[in-house]
Amino acid sequence: MKTNNTKAGRIILEVILVILSLLFLYPLFLTIINSLKSFSEVMTDVIALPQHLALSNYSYVWKFINYPRLFLNNFIITGLGLLGIVFISSIAAYKLARTKSRLSGIIYFLCIMPMLIPFQSIMLTVLQTAKNLNLSESTWGLGLLYWGFGAPLAVFIYHGFVKGIPTEIDESATIDGASSFRLFFSVIFPLLKSVTTTIVIIDVMWIWNDFLLPLLMVNGSPDTKTLTLAAYTFVGQYTSDWQYAMTAMVMAVLPSIIVFIFLQKYIVKGVVAGAVKG
Amino acid sequence: MLKTLGRRWREKLDFGLFTLPVLICIAVAFYIPFVMTIRYSMTKWNGISKHPKFVGLDNFQQIFTGDSNFANSAWFTIKYAILYIVIVNVLAILLAVLLDMKLKSTSWLRAAFFIPYILSLVIVGFIWKFIFMQGFNSLGESTGWSFFGLSWLGTPGLAFISILGVSIWQSIGFYLVIYIAGLQSVPDDLKEAATVDGAGAMRRFFSITLPLLAPSITISVFMALTNSIKVFDVILSLTGGGPGGTTYSIAYDIYRDTFQNNLYGYGTAKALILFLAVLVVTIIQLTVFKRREVEA
Repeated sequence: MKTNNTKAGRIILEVILVILSLLFLYPLFLTIINSLKSFSEVMTDVIALPQHLALSNYSYVWKFINYPRLFLNNFIITGLGLLGIVFISSIAAYKLARTKSRLSGIIYFLCIMPMLIPFQSIMLTVLQTAKNLNLSESTWGLGLLYWGFGAPLAVFIYHGFVKGIPTEIDESATIDGASSFRLFFSVIFPLLKSVTTTIVIIDVMWIWNDFLLPLLMVNGSPDTKTLTLAAYTFVGQYTSDWQYAMTAMVMAVLPSIIVFIFLQKYIVKGVVAGAVKG
Repeated sequence: MLKTLGRRWREKLDFGLFTLPVLICIAVAFYIPFVMTIRYSMTKWNGISKHPKFVGLDNFQQIFTGDSNFANSAWFTIKYAILYIVIVNVLAILLAVLLDMKLKSTSWLRAAFFIPYILSLVIVGFIWKFIFMQGFNSLGESTGWSFFGLSWLGTPGLAFISILGVSIWQSIGFYLVIYIAGLQSVPDDLKEAATVDGAGAMRRFFSITLPLLAPSITISVFMALTNSIKVFDVILSLTGGGPGGTTYSIAYDIYRDTFQNNLYGYGTAKALILFLAVLVVTIIQLTVFKRREVEA
């Protein structure tokens, strides 16, 4: 009797939760259906399904914002940023974790301390530094800049992980005659695979979607814009043409959703590992 | 002798080669700009003239005595941060407890609640702007609820609630995932033992689950705090600071002073105050929560 009761209770609870999750995602559903409507259809009824699929919205926005170009920009910025963050942070964290000296402690502190500096506190001067170094108004420059912004968290996470790797591994490789670079890349780095995944996931979500830094750095020319930035300026110009605005939203968001669907398990794991370490 | 000396130099060289790249990058991204911020905060500068005029601590004095924008945006940010931290964590814990039960749709549910978190906040703001401005009309007509007829972005109090709600909608999945991970490390036999001892579901939750969740709570509150104190993107796209400038956060106020009003020196002074506030609040929060965690 009692088990029956809890079983029925579970089913009811499950149904309620599924309905709740659908309501939760309803705004995204509305965005998608309205991106497929004509202007007049959006204006008459937002919640109705589209009567004729207005795929022309997509081709219009695709051309207008030069979607392939923006996608490439996002790809370059995110890819370059990630490569650098992973490389410079892993080698530094490894050396810092293995060296027991006062200098090493100070450098480690200098590396992770910036996590407490809010970006808004330095945004103007970052922009100026970037200009002095000729890094502004270019996708490559923006990608390079992310190396420093991503490094503190990455060093912190790698450092915690390296401490768990026994030093005997280093010693035996050194005895076999490996140089320290060789030792790091053929022995240590492969052992860091799971942390690297975590860092890559956290940083891809962050750099791909970042807004304020691209706004300050690459907003000047349509050739250097990112997807989010283009969606932002596009909506600014078309505040009343909601069908185009919604199309631009869907197109900006679609790559992230597709990646999420395929890598869901790793993304959730990566976020948990990153947060618990961070 | 010579060999050991050579080895020590090699080690030093290695140390430099491994750590210098990161130091240079972090210096460019944080330390150089930070020092420049301190310098500019004591100047009057419009960004155009070659030589910023040194004014000492005048900017700071003006911010604390005669700047109602700063006071308003600070109050907005404090209100927002407190409500955001409390609501998002309470909701996420409740939802995590439900999703921690063995349900058939668990993986769908977790993914569904997490999806908004992978979207950019600016885009989330626009999507909701559309829903508040257009979608609520249609929903109001088809349901007849006056709730949808309210001006959610046009009245100050409601615009605040809208920003809060949208931020929570976007990020709850993140906290949910942290709490589910925390719950999975709570041993089942403890709960079973409590059940045998006659503890009800409520009692079990408050006496066993919640104390053991302490590490997850520390992390989540820390993340919620650092994120909410910097709230910017969602306001920019959702309300643009309106109606009547009632939804400016500190971060937005700094952005406006610096890049829209060209008050470079004044803006950086505010930016420095924001940094100090974040520093103090974070240190207090971490000490308080760490202490509690040890006791639990």
